Amino acid sequence: MDRECVSLLPGVCEVLADPGTSLPDDTSLEKLLDWFTGLIEAGGSLLEACPCLLEFISTVVHNTASDPGVLSFTLRLTGLVSATEDGFKMLQERSVLNEVFNLKHWQEAGLWEDPCLRIGWIQGLRSMLQHPEALSFFVQSAFLDPLLQLQTDTSLFVASAANQMLAHVLLFFQPVSSPGCNGVDKKAEDDGRTHTSAEYTAVVTSISQYLKESLVPKENTKHHQSLQILKLLALLLAKAGPPLRDKLLQTVGDSLEELVTAGGSELTLPLMDVVLAAYSSSGTDERVTRLLASMLNINKPADLIHAAAAFLRRGRCDAVHTARAVRVLLLPLDVITGQSLLGTNTTADAHQVSVVEQLKSKTPCISMICVCLTNTPQIALTPSGVLPCPPVLIITAVLSLLSICSGVSSSSSTGSSEVYRNVIGNGKVQKCALEALTALSSSPGAMEKISEVFTVLIQYLDNPDSDPTVLHKSYQALLKWTSVCTDFSLVTDHLRHDLIEVVKKRVCDMRWEVRDSTVEFLGHLTGVRVSLKSVEVCDSSDVLLGVCSTTPLLKEALQDSESYVRASAIAALAKTLTHSWQQGAALTQEETEIVSRLLEILSQDTEGFPRRAVVQYFISWYSSNSSHLPLSSSGSSASLLMQCVRSVLSQGSADLDWEVKVHTLELAELLLDETFSAHQGYRKGSDAHRAPSHPYGVVSEQAHTLHTHAGTHTEGTESDLATVVEQGVMSALLSGLVDCDRPVALKACRLLITLRETVCTLSLGTLDATASMATVSCKLPGLGWGKEIIKILRLKRSDRAREADIAAQRNLSDADEGGESVSVCEALRLLGLDERLDVLTQSSDHIHNSPLSLLQDILTASAAHTQPGEEVIVDCY
Amino acid sequence: MKLYCLSGHPTLPCNVLKFKSTTIMLDCGLDTTSVLNFLPLPLVHSPRLSKLPSWVSKDGTINLEKELKECAGRVFVDSQPEFCLPEKELLDLSTIDVILISNYHCMMALPYITEHTGFTGTVYATEPTLTIGRLFMEELVNFMERVPKAQSATCWKNKEIQRMLPGPLKDAVDVYTWKRSYSMQEVNSALSKVQLVGYSQKVELFGAVQVSPLSSGYSLGSSNWIIQSHHEKVSYVSGSSLLTTHPQPMDQSSLKNSDVLILTGLTQMPTANPDGMLGEFCSNLAMTIRAGGNVLVPCYSSGVIYDLLECLYQFIDSANLGTTPFYFISPVANSSLEFSQIFAEWLCHNKQSKVYLPEPPFPHAELIQTNKLKHYPSIHGDFSSEFRQPCVVFTGHPSLRFGDVVHFMELWGKSSLNTIIFTEPDFSYLDALAPYQPLAMKCVYCPIDTRLNFHQVSKLLKEVQPLHVVCPEQYTQPPLTQSHRSDLMLELQPPPMPYRRCSVLNLPFRRSYERVYIMPELANSLVPSEIKPGVSLATVSAVLHSKDNKHTLQSVPKPPPAPPSKKRKRVLDEPPLVLAPKPLLSGAVPLEAFLATLQKQGITEVKVEETADGHILHLQAEDTLIQLEEDGTHIVCDNNEPLRTTLRDLVLRFLQKL
Repeated sequence: MDRECVSLLPGVCEVLADPGTSLPDDTSLEKLLDWFTGLIEAGGSLLEACPCLLEFISTVVHNTASDPGVLSFTLRLTGLVSATEDGFKMLQERSVLNEVFNLKHWQEAGLWEDPCLRIGWIQGLRSMLQHPEALSFFVQSAFLDPLLQLQTDTSLFVASAANQMLAHVLLFFQPVSSPGCNGVDKKAEDDGRTHTSAEYTAVVTSISQYLKESLVPKENTKHHQSLQILKLLALLLAKAGPPLRDKLLQTVGDSLEELVTAGGSELTLPLMDVVLAAYSSSGTDERVTRLLASMLNINKPADLIHAAAAFLRRGRCDAVHTARAVRVLLLPLDVITGQSLLGTNTTADAHQVSVVEQLKSKTPCISMICVCLTNTPQIALTPSGVLPCPPVLIITAVLSLLSICSGVSSSSSTGSSEVYRNVIGNGKVQKCALEALTALSSSPGAMEKISEVFTVLIQYLDNPDSDPTVLHKSYQALLKWTSVCTDFSLVTDHLRHDLIEVVKKRVCDMRWEVRDSTVEFLGHLTGVRVSLKSVEVCDSSDVLLGVCSTTPLLKEALQDSESYVRASAIAALAKTLTHSWQQGAALTQEETEIVSRLLEILSQDTEGFPRRAVVQYFISWYSSNSSHLPLSSSGSSASLLMQCVRSVLSQGSADLDWEVKVHTLELAELLLDETFSAHQGYRKGSDAHRAPSHPYGVVSEQAHTLHTHAGTHTEGTESDLATVVEQGVMSALLSGLVDCDRPVALKACRLLITLRETVCTLSLGTLDATASMATVSCKLPGLGWGKEIIKILRLKRSDRAREADIAAQRNLSDADEGGESVSVCEALRLLGLDERLDVLTQSSDHIHNSPLSLLQDILTASAAHTQPGEEVIVDCY
Repeated sequence: MKLYCLSGHPTLPCNVLKFKSTTIMLDCGLDTTSVLNFLPLPLVHSPRLSKLPSWVSKDGTINLEKELKECAGRVFVDSQPEFCLPEKELLDLSTIDVILISNYHCMMALPYITEHTGFTGTVYATEPTLTIGRLFMEELVNFMERVPKAQSATCWKNKEIQRMLPGPLKDAVDVYTWKRSYSMQEVNSALSKVQLVGYSQKVELFGAVQVSPLSSGYSLGSSNWIIQSHHEKVSYVSGSSLLTTHPQPMDQSSLKNSDVLILTGLTQMPTANPDGMLGEFCSNLAMTIRAGGNVLVPCYSSGVIYDLLECLYQFIDSANLGTTPFYFISPVANSSLEFSQIFAEWLCHNKQSKVYLPEPPFPHAELIQTNKLKHYPSIHGDFSSEFRQPCVVFTGHPSLRFGDVVHFMELWGKSSLNTIIFTEPDFSYLDALAPYQPLAMKCVYCPIDTRLNFHQVSKLLKEVQPLHVVCPEQYTQPPLTQSHRSDLMLELQPPPMPYRRCSVLNLPFRRSYERVYIMPELANSLVPSEIKPGVSLATVSAVLHSKDNKHTLQSVPKPPPAPPSKKRKRVLDEPPLVLAPKPLLSGAVPLEAFLATLQKQGITEVKVEETADGHILHLQAEDTLIQLEEDGTHIVCDNNEPLRTTLRDLVLRFLQKL
């Protein structure tokens, strides 16, 4: 532990023990506990390191005037300390434990009313109960009854904590019976937990007795207790080993059956959780199976559907029950769409009648259908023996529902028309159905439906009343189906024509969200590679929209009034053109126009998103262009690219948006990678420093793969360096280094270090090289970042002036008013990059998050409080 | 109370309400869909139209070479277009006292009703309704008179011939009543009978009923009407809207507590949501312009066009259409655009507040200022020199049978780059396009109908709770083409009373009360007696005086003292003695107390028999029956007058007298 912290702690304890003091903010006690927990986890003994804590605990416990928050903190702290047997013993010797957890004491002081104290008591005990001594203490102090009472506390937090605590007691101390049972580790035996079995058995008996007696609500309205007990049971059954599980089931089995029969709506889901927990841990138990069967046969359709959905989510396959759950979930869909999902020869059961009744009122109807739809993809994947219909029929039903929702259902459908009005135009059902349809694309036999799917989706895209999210989901569904489509001959020319028309219309939509989704869709569509039977691999956009449709639409979208749409259009264009870049196709007139428009956006657009997208566009162009031999290439495409890269580097690094700058540095990194990848000692940016990324930092979305050259560049580092400088990489890096945005400076710093390691280590090798390297210089502007770099360099040089470096002197004299030329190598060495990297790597709040600063804050706040008239308002955000 | 239904068109209604002694016509809509059966009237000679082949029946027996032309498999009448008028034979139109107009779309038949029928009443309408209605009529007359057609086809209307005709012509009803357009003179005469009213202004009709317009939110000055007497209230709901477009919002609360609510003018496009359609309109427009094509928008010269222009005002910059010219061509374009700006009090709140700012309520003024929107009375003149393509043209008539739109159809129809966007819901776009087939131009149908939809109307009715609802029969069943859409009809309890053209409905409410005034001196003479706490009664003898549907009770004039007559007095000349009326009895005879009284009188042998209405007492010794019932008492006593009198007096003891 930090010595400084240890020295401050007694002062802090004093402050906390004083009832009159105030804390800097209400999270400081939590932070303090976190710090202590961390210390314990690191293997230290709290009391040894900070003996003052013992004093603190006994002082506070006796002072009932203390703030309840501090008292609660003390209870939890005591728990932490006594979690180890040594700590426990020490506290026990001083008889602190009895005082701290003495319920009567707190009740008499009137402090028990405060939920904060009750939760402290529970959590303190919870931390303590890690060894048999603690359990003995727990049992002897008769804490079980109060704990059971707290299970139905008025405060939800207290009640939940009590539940967790009860589960902990039962699970943690359960004896190990057979090897390999879940939830209990082998280590338990060594702890001697088995010795406590008498106490443990008593605890188990009392708790299970309590569960048995309180599970079924006494009055119709008292569901709270049953709910809590069900939650506890679910916790227990999920993790209990066989002896405990069997004991529990044996005790509460009757009560559970009673509850299932009573069928209270509020309890259905928690009850299902319990039954499922029991079922998954002991699948063969006859009673549990019976319980599950009755849960899947309860009378209330809405509850039943939720129960069935919960069963399916568990994913445990059991043909009988799965079949039942599937039937329950498919029934509403069957009723509405008239698709005989459940087979034609079903005897109309009473349940169907009540489902139809429920579907006639709007709210239950929508909720039930949404549950059904959410589960359809999983249902479609269940084995065919279990499914009452071929999976394809489920797709048909979802499609039919989508048609009904948009009001165009065919009159041939035999579904209940009274239910129609509840779903027509309902956005929620539409969204659910579209999501289901998207997921159903991978179900068996889906391909035979592709034409119908396209028809419905195009109709949704065309519908003037579809809201933007529905349209977005339709696009997603279309993409998904396109990506799994293997035979595009199923998509007729007529459908393709309709799709082109609707996309053309939607890029002109009034709502920017719709335009944005459309443009995104166009981009993604070109990304979906499809292989056709006869033709080779090509992108789906060509197949569906025709080659020349996409680019003009996207080009038009570059002029959009909404910045998000412009940004999406740029990204989509990059995706669209990637293929031709990779193939090294010649540049078209259209592409040249796009490029000049993009440069215009980079320099003039007032919003950040499009500018970021522009830089990324060039990143993907650069990284996918196979023929980009820097300068040496004579291809028009490559020369235009290099020309653009130069202006992107200069404009991007001067941008106001830090993300644009970071992307610009990524481009610079690519250039460096490209230039130096063949050099020994060069580590690609993507290999090096992928170390702790800042939570808000930009992470480049795609890993750019570079096509490295055939030739090696062990020679000619100098010319490579000159090239890099000439391209503007050096300026971009240097300006980034002194940028006020940390992520920018960090990125630039790392790249500069890589460059230094490549260029300067080489030059150290031979004197000749050093001399030649020194001649590569880079011009710094006399303003802004240039000025700042010059300042740093001059400072460093004056430090070295005593060494009388002639070359540097000469360079210094070169300085003119407009700026300065510096040797790249020298600059790299003089800039103190490693120190900078250290500073930049630390997260910006590292100072404020240290325990030292926390302790200091507490002291300062109390000091400020004692001085009258000086109120310190601490903003805890 | 009766309702005569003269029009079968649910959104262009014409109904007559007989209520108390008044005859009130509710709206005067002109069904213009009949013009779809006619050939378009081209402004400039159209070789295509003039070369259309005449229609000849299959067997060749009918050949109306001059009257019927065939185009793309459909037959059209080559004559000046004619309209289907409201039914004139159902009742004598000269008996109509007043006509209430709800909006400018529903008054286009006015000249047919007020002229040449003997109509002598008054027409009530709001100021914008009159002004814009006049513009619509002027425009219609102008469209017709600009392209005079010498001939008027009549032979095809012969029932025998019509029966043989194909397609929609064969099924057209009452074709012999179809009439050509009226003249400007008739328009002026008809509109001179209009008296202006403001929202919530109460107009007394002959003292019998009071009528009052309420804002309906559909168009500038559009109104619903309340027709009420002291004890009855009829609401007439015509085109209404709950959307926030340019007009003042709908007044719903005043419709509450109606005995009968006559519901017309719901949306004609229940499945087309106006917002979605507006979006559709904009994106199709932008798509066409970007591809280098022209956009034609056939529309009326007022109404939705204001909203379209406002929407475009916001849209053109975001869609990069800043340089595309927008043209509005109509003989009344200028007046329409300018009038809209001055009806401040009839606009929605948002626009009203702009009156206090130095900017006009509608942004189309700015479009005109910046030269983005230009308006012309017709394609002739300035327009032809300033016309630039690609462009957007708004022009009439939406039926595509007359007006400048005909010219643009001929001009642009051949290119698939151009688009026609239908926004008016009144005409089927396929029928409208029929005489222009084959057509390469792209067609987009996005009808914008802001009138109430079924969802809104059922919410409205739930709120205002009328006792009975009367509506066109079309609203009581789902649309024919969408029979599964049970949400697209009115479902009410009790079910609405449907009407169709020529229906006469007896409205299901009985008038049970009438208000009568009492003169002060007469009131003064009354002697009320309290029959139960808070309720007093008095008998009145007076003379009932009724004039202008007002009823007054006046004192009975004292008979003038007999003039001293020299003539011999005759007994017979004595004025008949006015007998004091017998007192009115009230109360009930309590059985037990009555029996006790009887016993005191020595009548002891009484057998009491219970009946449905009361009791029968059998006085066995006297062989007499007394029937005590709720509203009467009978004493049956043969030949014993003294006993009867005694019993009567005993009964009277228990009753109160007035």
